[in-house]
Order: sequence, then structure tokens, then C-alpha cells
Amino acid sequence: MNTPRFGQALSTWARRLLLDRSGPLTRELARAPGRFGLGQVPERLKPDATTSMICGFCSTGCALDVHVRRGEAVNITPTVDYPVNAGTACPKGWEALAPLRSADRGTTPLLRNAQGRLVPVDWETAIDAFVTRMKDVQARYGPESAAFLGTGQMPSEELALLGALGKFGMGMLHGDGNTRQCMATAVVAYKEAFGFDAPPYTYADFEQSDVLVFVGANPCIAHPIMWARVANSSRRPKVLVVDPRRTETAMAATEHYPLKPKSDLVLLYGVARVLVERGWVDRGFIDAHTRGFDGFADHVAAFPLGRVAAETGLAPDAIQGLAEHIHRGGRVSFWWTMGVNQSHEGVAVAQAIIALALMTGNIGRPGTGANSITGQCNAMGSRLFSNTTNLLGGHDFANGDHRRKVAEVLSIDPERIPSTGSLAYDQIFEAILSGKIRALWVVATNSAHSWINQADAHDILDRLDLLVVQDMYTTTETAQRAHLYLPAAGWGEKDGTFINSERRVGLIKKVARAPGQALADFYIFKLIADRWGCGEMFRAWSSPEAVFELLAEVTRGQPCDMTGIAGYDMIEEKRGVQWPLREGETVATASERRLFEDGRFFHADGRARFCYAEPEHLPEPTDARYPFMLLTGRGSSSQWHTLTRTGKSPLLQRLGASEPYVEISPVDAAALGVAHDGRVVVRSRRGEMRARAFVTHTVQPGQVFVPMHFARTNQLTFAAFDRRSRQPAYKACAVKIEADTEPRGALAR
Amino acid sequence: MTSSILTGAEVLPRLPLARDSRKHLPLLDQYLADQQHLSAVERFAQRHADLVGPAREPYYRDLLPASPPVAGQQYAFEVDLDACTGCKACVTACHSLNGLDEAEAWRSVGLLHGGTVAEPVQQTVTTACHHCLDPACMNGCPVGAYEKDALTGIVKHLDDQCIGCQYCTFTCPYDVPKYSPARGIVRKCDMCSDRLREREAPACVQACPNEAIAITIVDRRQALEDAQGDAFVPGSPSPGITVPTTTYKTRRALPRNLLPANFYAVAPSHAHRPLVVMLVLTQLSVGAFCVDAAGTRFVPATAASSLGSLQAIVAMLTGLAALGASVFHLGRPLYAFRALIGLRTSWMSREILAFGCFAPLAMLYAASFWLPPAVAVPGRDVLRVAVAVVGIAGVVCSVAIYQVTRRTWWNGPATGFKFFMTALLLGLATAGMTLSAGVARSGDLDRAGQDTLASLARSVALMIVVVGSIKVAGELFVLRHLRDTRYTDLKRSALLLTGDLRRFTLLRIALVASGLGLSAAQVHGLPSLAVAVAALLVLLGGELVERTLFFAAMSSPGMPRGHGG
Repeated sequence: MNTPRFGQALSTWARRLLLDRSGPLTRELARAPGRFGLGQVPERLKPDATTSMICGFCSTGCALDVHVRRGEAVNITPTVDYPVNAGTACPKGWEALAPLRSADRGTTPLLRNAQGRLVPVDWETAIDAFVTRMKDVQARYGPESAAFLGTGQMPSEELALLGALGKFGMGMLHGDGNTRQCMATAVVAYKEAFGFDAPPYTYADFEQSDVLVFVGANPCIAHPIMWARVANSSRRPKVLVVDPRRTETAMAATEHYPLKPKSDLVLLYGVARVLVERGWVDRGFIDAHTRGFDGFADHVAAFPLGRVAAETGLAPDAIQGLAEHIHRGGRVSFWWTMGVNQSHEGVAVAQAIIALALMTGNIGRPGTGANSITGQCNAMGSRLFSNTTNLLGGHDFANGDHRRKVAEVLSIDPERIPSTGSLAYDQIFEAILSGKIRALWVVATNSAHSWINQADAHDILDRLDLLVVQDMYTTTETAQRAHLYLPAAGWGEKDGTFINSERRVGLIKKVARAPGQALADFYIFKLIADRWGCGEMFRAWSSPEAVFELLAEVTRGQPCDMTGIAGYDMIEEKRGVQWPLREGETVATASERRLFEDGRFFHADGRARFCYAEPEHLPEPTDARYPFMLLTGRGSSSQWHTLTRTGKSPLLQRLGASEPYVEISPVDAAALGVAHDGRVVVRSRRGEMRARAFVTHTVQPGQVFVPMHFARTNQLTFAAFDRRSRQPAYKACAVKIEADTEPRGALAR
Repeated sequence: MTSSILTGAEVLPRLPLARDSRKHLPLLDQYLADQQHLSAVERFAQRHADLVGPAREPYYRDLLPASPPVAGQQYAFEVDLDACTGCKACVTACHSLNGLDEAEAWRSVGLLHGGTVAEPVQQTVTTACHHCLDPACMNGCPVGAYEKDALTGIVKHLDDQCIGCQYCTFTCPYDVPKYSPARGIVRKCDMCSDRLREREAPACVQACPNEAIAITIVDRRQALEDAQGDAFVPGSPSPGITVPTTTYKTRRALPRNLLPANFYAVAPSHAHRPLVVMLVLTQLSVGAFCVDAAGTRFVPATAASSLGSLQAIVAMLTGLAALGASVFHLGRPLYAFRALIGLRTSWMSREILAFGCFAPLAMLYAASFWLPPAVAVPGRDVLRVAVAVVGIAGVVCSVAIYQVTRRTWWNGPATGFKFFMTALLLGLATAGMTLSAGVARSGDLDRAGQDTLASLARSVALMIVVVGSIKVAGELFVLRHLRDTRYTDLKRSALLLTGDLRRFTLLRIALVASGLGLSAAQVHGLPSLAVAVAALLVLLGGELVERTLFFAAMSSPGMPRGHGG
């Protein structure tokens, strides 16, 4: 009976042996409809739930749909119905889960023992060590001898808890964050010009502009999803790029102005002078809404075309052309990022950009604005809530009313709030050097890699009596130097809110389990508060969402008023909410709102200010011994800062350079006898870096470019700072290039 | 490993905590428990739970053709170079939406740059499989693991059919199929054919923020016409080889010096050790049989049988060892039996067939020495010729395998020269050893016979010196390309031979020089068996190094690459 069937089975089997179209290897790649609006997904990763949350890398604030299968986060796709990114993301977002799975995640606290080794301890021991040793330092050298360094990578709720615990609970006076390295300049520029740290734009301005001027910004690589909104604009705008390098964005631009490094201030003043001379200014707007224009016009009179052309290296025609583009564009928006912020005179440059927007009336209308593109995912939250430079909610430590208001909202004694702000990052380092600060608590940042002039930074960190590092990974250069390491849960393993560049408050969520005993920073702070003896002060800070409600209340009446945001459910429902939203105000789902549409700024008189300064000399100009100007910046869109996270994704690593390289002009390479792909040593007065020469015209003769992601890059940089923002000037120092005579081998990263 | 996030318990066992020490941290247990509880998923999940179709469809609708291709047409990628700004989202989307391995992606992004100081130019180039009209991967595959869909033109790899011979990684000029050692197969882009069938955009098309990648329909005739010129993408292999269907469009005038970022980078290729062993040993075997066939008439009749059997045994065993080595090259050797499926187009199949016949013939021939002469002798002469002819056919197939890849370093004449000279050199060296063995125990020969053998051995030694010298000179002739003005493929190979691979080059020369020196010592006086064996082994070593360089000094062609994929 069964013989024919058996025969059939046998013949099927035999045929499959010869031609197998559907075996296990094929099935492994099978795709299936994913539901949830996803289209097809890998069948074995098919989700049974999805939830969207804000990406944890840059400040664009893209929403990502996390695919959850049997309680595990298994995949990510960009969220389609989110006003920021409309279903796209850069490689970092697509790969955001990979860094969570790394083998070097901290799973238990580590305490350095008598032999100098970091050994695992339980939380009880760790928190005990933290509290006793921190208190011991404070008892001996005063409460201000302990300081903290935070980050723009944590949600606002955790930042606020860190700042409040450090200052109000533990009596610290000084704290700062890695936002000092990216946004401090914009903060100061906005505060002085607008009366509050308030990036005025909404992303719709990208696609509503006729002319976009990018100064020191390479959004194609650093903010690809912002660039997408320019690229896909139906207005076919003119894109003008001011950058020493022919970057990807410069390539995509209508006009590129390859000025000499750090001559941007002179260029902008020169352009302003042309605008004034030709009468290409919006007198009505200036008179109604600004103050200080005449002084500004006098100031820029000292920047005639001849001088500007000589100092920038640009042709006079090009400079006039830039002014003319600004004049002729109906809607002109100005955008800047690290090329401006990380400069010895960054505040002045940012304010010159703001001045151009003000004098031409390009603000408060669609497609306009003087717009700082922020760096980290929650740099904007850090600016409002880190409780470092500013008192919580963009308040002023020196203002007694502000202190009383905040104390009342938080139900604490106003005396607990210091009446002065913190030292800046570099000043904290100096205070360590002079022995005034003895204990440092570093949370979610990697100073030993990222701080300028790295050899000095290492020396300074090694002088501390107590270095506590709280991080996802045990392997960061800073964690390796710690006396005490606390294992933190990362993005994706905790709840909270981020604020993106356009002031949109968005949610992050706990979608993955932290490894071992790693805890969200929020819980770590709470444990410390309890053990310190100030737990009662933070009784109301019971959960991230409870903290969000406190913080919203703190902002009441401020330009950043968020009292209208009812809680996480509303943020979820409205697809993020931009500040301000006052209590009682309503907002549409996925709406886009810009500031200053009524022409009223945040100074008491409602007017914006023209601010300006004399250009300063480069802190370290080139000379005969160090004839090249070293530029630094992002290497690729797959790399984030010190690679602490992106370096953990094999795919992202594949997409970035595997070994250090330096971009050098063919003109210089020929003069130095450096071959294409040859090995060179880049030397500054402070350190050296071995690298592969990438000989390319995209850098001008006399300049070289090195991505910031390589650990040795900051061995070279020169510790100069903008005097007003205290932001390090990473992007210009003098180096020399020599052919590497060492035998060729693997280059250290 | 996209599958799951390790839970704490998997990473590290919970540390034993003394219960009574918890008094200072009363909330620790609660926090640790909360940390493992995915509350947000429960609270916020299920948005769009009812949405069946892809939500992003409105954004990519215009990037797909309105209707499927008709006869004479096929699907193709179209890349707008002016919109590609190198963000590489396409690469990660391909990885995530197709559930690929850790660092695996079927798309990559390269970089072209050039221009002048006044007008610098850089251009990023996103690239995937070109779904060629004449796919070299498919033509070369010995097991029929590639199909070109008659309607869509999509070149699809059948993963379960693949035996992991990796030949397609040689034949594809664009470096598209990628071998996974863990799986033992190659995988590649299928243009997300299941998605296209449902009018859903391929992963890369959906993911590009700038809409730089589209699917279009191309006329096959047009693609063929486009491939006649050499213009495709600067620095990429000629489209004439496989007729790629991808269109790269730009409104810009690209400068003539636009070159891939990796243009001047030369890195050694994979050495493929099993293939090295397989090639050299099959060639030794074939050479030994051929020398035997050609030279047997000069051997005194009384010694012919014993020497012939020795030569045959050595040759046969080497041949079998070679075939054994070849199996180690396969990712899935259990399915090696499929290797004849591709006979119609694949030189790999033909090589396997030739050596598949060669081996039993060789065994039969070797066995004939143990059969009664009455049975064996008449057959043996026929067999001897048959083994040699089939063996030569096998080596011809070996040469063709590399020649059809169109890589200049592997061009037909050069490869043929190397392979056949290896056969001749090692065949002679084997004969030299056999003859020396004959001389060593020539007790049952008469004086004249002994003299004949010794003089034969001396002649063979002389031939070894001549052949070996010609071969090594021929190999080193490639170094003349060091002086090429253009950075040609052969210049790259020459740079590798004198740069990264210099130690191998020197070893190659040292071994062949020693082997020839030992053989030269045999040209005068009584040949020594020990010296002959030593010469054979040293020369064999030298050929193995030569063949390693044959693979390692190849500069892999491909689409432009950047600082990272």
C-alpha cells in the first residue's frame, strides 16, 4: 500500500539532494509580513509588539520602532509616523541595539583593591565605598572638593537627579557635563542675543527655506536625517556651505566657501558689511524687534572686502555673492554646529550668524532662523536640567527668586541651593590640578578619551583621591582609571525623556534588560541618596515620570515652560511635544512650532540683541616647525564620538575606518614625499599619532584632517577655549607631518 | 547575532549577597527587580497593531516601477549619485531588514575623489549586486546555486544548494557574493525579491533618507549596449565582463582623475590554502604521469616495471591527496556530489569531472603493475596515455577556472605557464627521484642498464634546472610592472610581491634556488637518491609558496571602497 508513497518520498529526497531550494539555510533568511506597519521583516525576528522611542545618539531625535519578540528587543526600524524622521534613520539608529549586547558591559560594581586591581563587589559595598570615601574627601577638603561630570546622553530626569543630588543633597558646588564640549557656545550666544538659551527653529524650516547657509556643519555625515529634509525639499533651495573642507555637504551644496580655518568670524562680519552697505537689511524688523544694530554696523565697517578676502582666502566676488544670496533669498535660514561651537571665538561667530538673521529679518518666519544644530541626544535637556551652569529649568543660581521658586517646587530648603554656578569642565580639571577638587564622579562620559590635550587630561584624572565612573562599559579609557566603577543600564534599558534640537521632548523606554546587576543611573542615584542620608529630599522623585512632572513644574513661567505637557502618555500620543507648552495650551499631533513668530524675544524689553567682538588670533597658529593646521571632525555617520558604543557593533565598525588616517592635500603630500596610502606620523607639540595618509583634494594645502574618533586624536589637540563659553577649541592646532619610518604594522586606534 | 539581548543571568551569575547587609539599601532588591521588568513595552506597545501594509509605502511608491518588467526587460537598481551623501543607512537597513549576520550587509558605500585644489570633488557610491545580464557568479557555479529569474532578471542565490566552493567570489568582478565560514556558503543580495513581489521596496530603497536608490526597469538590449563602452563607475571593473544592470546617474561633470578612495591601497588577498595544495599536487601528479608516459621508452626494459610502478604509485597517491585537499576547501563538503551539475557553463565542474576521471584511471594504471603481465601489459600502454591525456585536460580546466575570472594576474597565458610548468618541474623531479632510486638499487641490471639509468637521471636533473630556471624567471617577469605609470592590477600584484608579501617572494626564490642547486649537483657523477628526494621536496615546497602567491598577490577587483564599507 505504502510503496508508491515511499517511492515518491524517496524520489523527492533524491531530487532535493541534487537541487535544494528550500532547506534550513534558505528558511533562515525567510521574510514575512511584520504587521505594525512594518512591511516584511525577517521571519525569525517577527515582532509580537513594537514601541517607538527616541534614538540615543545625536540630537536629531529620530524615533525608532523597537521590535519586541517574546519579551526581547530583537530589531529596530525607524518610526514612520514621527514628525522628525518619517521612517528613516542613520546607521547608528538602525544598529542601536547592538551596543547593548557587548561583552564588556559592566554587570557588577568594581572597586580597586590594595593591589590596584578593579575587582567585583556587591552594590552594598560599592555604595558604601562611594559614600564613605566621598564624605571623607568632603570632610577633609570642604564640600566643594567633590565634583561631578555628567552627559548629554542621559534623559533629563536622570540629569536633574544627578545635579540635584550632587548640589542640594551632597553639598557639591561644581558639576559640568560633556555638553560643555559640544553646545556651551550656542548656549551663551543664544542667552545673550535672545535672552534665553532657545534654538528658535523647527525642522520644517529645513524644507521651507529658499536659502540655507551652513557654517561649520556637515549634516550629510553628522546629522543625515536633518540633511534628508533639505535634500527632499520641494522648494529646491540654494545651499551655501562655509567650511574649510570640501565635505559631503559642501559637495551637495550650490556654493561652497572654502575659507581658511577659523576665519569665519571675519567672513561673517564682511558679509554683514556688504549687506549694510547695499542697504540689504530689514530696517523695519531691526527697529521693531532688536537693539544694538548701529553699534554692530559700525563694528562691521572695519571689515571691508579687501581685508576679508585676505584673511579668509576667499575671492571678493564670492563674499559679495554670499551676501547677495542671503539678500535675494526670501526665506533664509542659518545653521551651525561644531565648526563654530568648538572654536576659540565660537560665541562671537554664533552671534555673528544670529546678527545676519536679525538684520535681514530672517527669524520667526517659516524657513528662517539662526539655528544651532545640537550635538547629543539630550544636550538640550542637559542645558535646561543638568543643574550645573544653570539652576534647574534654565534658572540662575545667583537669583534669589529663582532659588526660592525651585526650592518650593522641590519642597527643599532654599539654603540647600548654592548661589553661584559651577566651574566649567576645564576649570574643574584645573581645580584638580591645583588640589582644590579631590573627588570626581564621572557619569556616562569618557573624558580620558574625549577631553582636549589628552596627555594632560590623563595626568589630571590620575591625581584624584577618588574617581568614580558610572558607565555602561568597564572598558572606557576613563573607567579603566576609576577607583570605583558603577555598572549602568544604557539607552533602551530605562525610561525618561530627551529634548532634541528643535526643542521636541520625546520618550525613551525600557525595552531591554540590563545585564547582570547593572542599574539605571536613576536607581543608582536613588541608592546613593538613601545611603548618603538625603533620601528624604528625593522622596517625590520616585520614578522618572514623577521627576518629569516636577521638572515641568520648575519650568513654569520660563521661556521653556512645559507645564502643558501632561506626562509621558501625552508625549507618546502627540509624537513628541516642543517647548514651550504652557498649562492649558493644546498642541496638534506631530505638530511643528518655531519661536519668535510674534517678534518678541526673551529679554525683558522683548528685543533681540546684536552682539559682536573683535576677532582674536588663533591660539596656536602654524609656524615653520609645525606648518599644518589640524582640523578634526566626524569621520563617518556610523561613528559616535569616542566609539564607546558604536565601536561595539561589528557592522558600524565595518562602516567606519578601521585604522587612523589623515587627509592631506596632494600638493603637500608631493612636497613631503608622502605616497598615496603611505604611513605618516602627525606630530603636535603635545603628542603624536601614526596614521595612513589619505591624499585628497578635499582638504586644502596647508591643512590636514583627522577624525575625532581615534583615541590618539586628542593627544594632538591644543587646550584652547572660548573665553565666554569655556568650550574647547578642538578644530584648529598646529602639527607637522612626517613619513613614518617604523615598519609597517597594525596601527593602534 | 541579531536575535536576542543577553539577560543578566546569562552574562554573569548573580553575586551572592549577604541578606543582612541590605539594611542600608532597603530598595536595592526592588530596583534590581524593576530593572529587569520591561514596563514600557506593556504600557506603550501595540501602536499600529492593526496596520497590515507597510506604513512607509507612500514615501517609496515613486521609487518603484509602475508595472513589472515584460519580455526583454528586467528590474535594476538606479542610483542617483547627486543624492547619495554617504550616510550608509542603506547598508544598515539591508542588514536589519534582512536579518543578516553581525557584520553582514549586501550593500556597501564607497568613495570616489579627485578634482583639483580649486575644484575638489568627492562622490560617495552606494552599491549592491548589479543583477547582471550575464552573471559570472551563475556561469561559474559548479552546482547550479544561482538562478537568474526569467521575468524579473533578479540573480538569486540558492543557499541550500551552495556547497561553499567560493568560486563565485572569484568570478564576480564586483566582489558581491560573500562567503560565510560559519555557514559554509556564500550569500548575496536578491533585490528583496519577496518584497518587490508585494510591491514593497527593497530594504535599501526604503531606507535611503535622500531617495538616492530606486528600482527601475531596464531593456536588456539597452544594458548590453551600455556595456560596450567602458563607462560604468570610475575605478570599477569593465561592464563588458558581466553586463551589470545598475544605472548610476549624475548631473555633474565628473573629473577624469576621480578615483576610488582605496585605489592606491594594496592588500594581500586570501591565500586559500586547500586550493594551493590541490593545484600543486594535482599538477605534480599529472606531471609525473606525463613524464612517465614520455620517458618510459628510454628506461631499460628490465627496470621499467619496478620504476614505472614506483612513479605511478607516487603520482597516484599525490593525486589522491590533492583531491582530498580540495574537499577541505568546500564549506559543505557533504554535498560535493552536486559538483557536476554546472558542467554546461562551469569550468569548476569540468575540472572536477576531469580529475574525477583521472583518479580512477590513475589507480587502475598503478594497479596494473600488480596484475599478471599477460593481462596488464597491453592495457597499461593505453592506460598510460589515457591518464596523461585526462590529467592534462584537468590542468587545462584548472587554468580556465582562473582565466575566466578576467583578473589580469590570473590571465590565461600566465596561469597556463605557471600550472603546466609546475606539472613539468615536479613531474621531472618525481622522475628524478624514481630514477635515482633505480640507480641506488640497480643490482639486477647489467652495466649498460645501470649507465643508462644514471645518465637518464642526470639528463632529468639537467632538465629540472632548465625548467625551474625558466619558470622562476617567468614568474618574476611580473615585477617589470613596478615601473608602470598607471596603477594597473599587475603593478599592484608586483607591489604586493615586493611589499607585504616580500617574505613569501624571497622564500619562493630561496626554495627554488635550493631545489635547482640540489638538482644541479645531480647533473654530474652518480645520482644520489637522498639528494633527489630532497630536491623533490624542496621544489614542491617552492611550488606551494608560488601558488600561495598566486592567490595572495591578486589585487581583488570590486566597486569603489571608502575608509569603511
